[in-house]
Amino acid sequence: MSPFSGVAILCLIGAVLFLLPLVPAILELRHKTDALPLTVVQQHAGEIRFFADGFRSYLKGLQPVLELCSKVGETTSGVMPDGTEYIVLAGGDSALQLPRTEPSQACELMIASASDLVLPSDMQFSKDLYAVGSLMGGENDTYRAALAEKDIYLGQGSTVMRWIHAAGKVRVDQGCRLYGRVSSDHGISLNQDCSFLRLNAPFIATDSADVSLETAGVEFAVASGPVPPRTLHDGDLQIPDGQELNGNLVVRGKLEIGDGARIRGSVKSEKELVLGSNVQIQGSLMSSTRIQIGGGCRVHGPVIAEHSMHVQSGTQCGSSQCPTTVSAPQIELEPGVVVWGTLWAREQGKVVRNA
Amino acid sequence: MIYVLYFIVSLICIYTVRHYWFTLNRLFGFQRHPYIDIDTADWPDVTILVAAHNEEKVVANILSALMTVKYPEEKMLVVPVNDRSTDRTREIIDGYVEKFPGRIRPFHRTSGKGGKAAALKDAMELVETEVILIFDADYIPGAGLIKQLVAPFFDPEVGGVMGRVVPMNCGTNLLTRLLDLERSGGYQVDQQARMNLRLVPQHGGTVAGVRLSALKEIGGWDDSTLTEDTDLTYRLLLNGWKTVYQNRSECYEEVPETWQVRIKQIMRWAKGHNQAMVNYTLRLLLGKHRATLRERIDGALLLGVYIMAPITVVGWILALAVFYRGIAPLHGIVAILAVTTYAAIGNLAAFFEIAAAVRLDGSRRRVCLLPFLLLGFTVSIVSVTWAAISQVKDALTGAEFHWDKTERFRKVPS
Repeated sequence: MSPFSGVAILCLIGAVLFLLPLVPAILELRHKTDALPLTVVQQHAGEIRFFADGFRSYLKGLQPVLELCSKVGETTSGVMPDGTEYIVLAGGDSALQLPRTEPSQACELMIASASDLVLPSDMQFSKDLYAVGSLMGGENDTYRAALAEKDIYLGQGSTVMRWIHAAGKVRVDQGCRLYGRVSSDHGISLNQDCSFLRLNAPFIATDSADVSLETAGVEFAVASGPVPPRTLHDGDLQIPDGQELNGNLVVRGKLEIGDGARIRGSVKSEKELVLGSNVQIQGSLMSSTRIQIGGGCRVHGPVIAEHSMHVQSGTQCGSSQCPTTVSAPQIELEPGVVVWGTLWAREQGKVVRNA
Repeated sequence: MIYVLYFIVSLICIYTVRHYWFTLNRLFGFQRHPYIDIDTADWPDVTILVAAHNEEKVVANILSALMTVKYPEEKMLVVPVNDRSTDRTREIIDGYVEKFPGRIRPFHRTSGKGGKAAALKDAMELVETEVILIFDADYIPGAGLIKQLVAPFFDPEVGGVMGRVVPMNCGTNLLTRLLDLERSGGYQVDQQARMNLRLVPQHGGTVAGVRLSALKEIGGWDDSTLTEDTDLTYRLLLNGWKTVYQNRSECYEEVPETWQVRIKQIMRWAKGHNQAMVNYTLRLLLGKHRATLRERIDGALLLGVYIMAPITVVGWILALAVFYRGIAPLHGIVAILAVTTYAAIGNLAAFFEIAAAVRLDGSRRRVCLLPFLLLGFTVSIVSVTWAAISQVKDALTGAEFHWDKTERFRKVPS
């Protein structure tokens, strides 16, 4: 082999090695198999009722069957256009009941009820449920999803895997696990030892909370005129009992707010934020770590902790006129807490017993 | 000469480590999205400024989109800032004003200093709300975007908010596909990692927001800057305000479809960024203010991203000079090991970051285009180097910055 050929072969091999990674690139450029814009959440925008609304639309095709069953008082079954098997329970004056089955039996049918629906205990409902009236769950039931045009009651130890929505109230008994979205157009009450992730309703009350006391103490005389200046504090800060502050407060350390203090603005702490009892905050409450809210506090705006939150009995966040959001990866609520609006635990929320 | 080369190599290594740190954080670290869960609140009044200079091709799209967003109508005012347009922009805006009475208050600017910052500065006379959102006219906000961008302002420490930009014309040609990859890396990894690590997420000047009281405190818009967004980021930081990034607040934009437009765009960004670097680096690193140590270091590195292009070019030239003059860097074996290690790991840092971003976005095949990024990087490094040289020349001759508007490619609506 001549030196020229050797150099030529070397150049050729070099060129091939250089171009080899470009082959898939050229193919992708030519064929455009993945050239669409990234999907951006445009319409539903994370609405908590998105799945419930979708299910309601899906059921429109079943409406004539529901009406007919209700009229003639007969139960019927069939298959939806997408192949889902359903059973429609007829309506009457009394609530409908599924026949009693073996414990822990799985129900593979989508159930639609033309009236109230009473479910047996120890069942797993692997398809969605719908009730024109109320839905009364048994104990230790597991639901994939459920929609009721009136109230929903979940029996002790029940589990929701994806979502439930009630046009009326949702009442959740002790020890239930709510893994998905739970929403209500009226209100949600959670009993002790319930765990939850994402809830939304005009009010969310933990065991024995009194929602009739909703606005007591949250009516600040809203200062008119220019926005009060922000106070920025480096290091830890303690606000004495009963003190009143006007304006937003940002603390770069730990912040402790004494009993009965009132702040006409929002509060942020870059470390732990501890509220004593009966503290009133007109704005929002933010912490880069943990928030501890004492008993009987009133917070008007959003309450956000980046790590965890503990809320003691008697505290209310938001109001019926101004609902708000309470969110943290880990949330513990004692009995007697009311949140008006959204309660969102990214990892786990729990109703715990009084400390 | 060799010590200058050592210095340049050290700088490049710092940026390489930074790329890896951000990417690994994004892949395995704790992800901060503290405000994204705020979906119920007593929403504040908001003014949405839409910067529009000869935007007849796109302005109707954004106004239509803003009229359908999920935000209380009575609390939202849209102010199209028509900056000396000579096309049909004014006519289109006025048509929308008529169609949606009380919801759009136009600001028609017919004279004055050029540039977005100057236009926004003048438009502030119409702003009465504490929360201001800013969009360029080629963006198309989704239904939930306004609430998502307003939500961080419930945090009294937040002075600025930045959302994520997603190219919508990414499939047009090679350039748009490369820009799509670059945007993914820049937002999905870079910006979110800075948010996770409590560093300095950058205000992008569009799909963004600013608090009025913070803006007043820092002296308002500075119309002498070419990139008002970078300038805003640093002035907020120096005054104890945080800028936060919301990765899930995504908005479509139109990216340049020709290399000529792209080069002009990146040259303007480079000049603006370098201007901010000159203005703020020393003050940020050594000044008495409330930025944390990590914010000072990251902020300084962020200011230096565009100047690294000419520095790298100088490094290449010095490396060749060192080689041909026969100077042995360090001990020969150490140099070989260092070069080999860098070649194996360092050169891949930016590609690794973009590949990770694409993966996080759930895309699959577009990652195949990574090798073509060499082309994009080459064009960028040459353009940015040229921008730096011309900026120095302008400074010496006293020439003023010239504002180049980014050309749009959408078809004009009939």
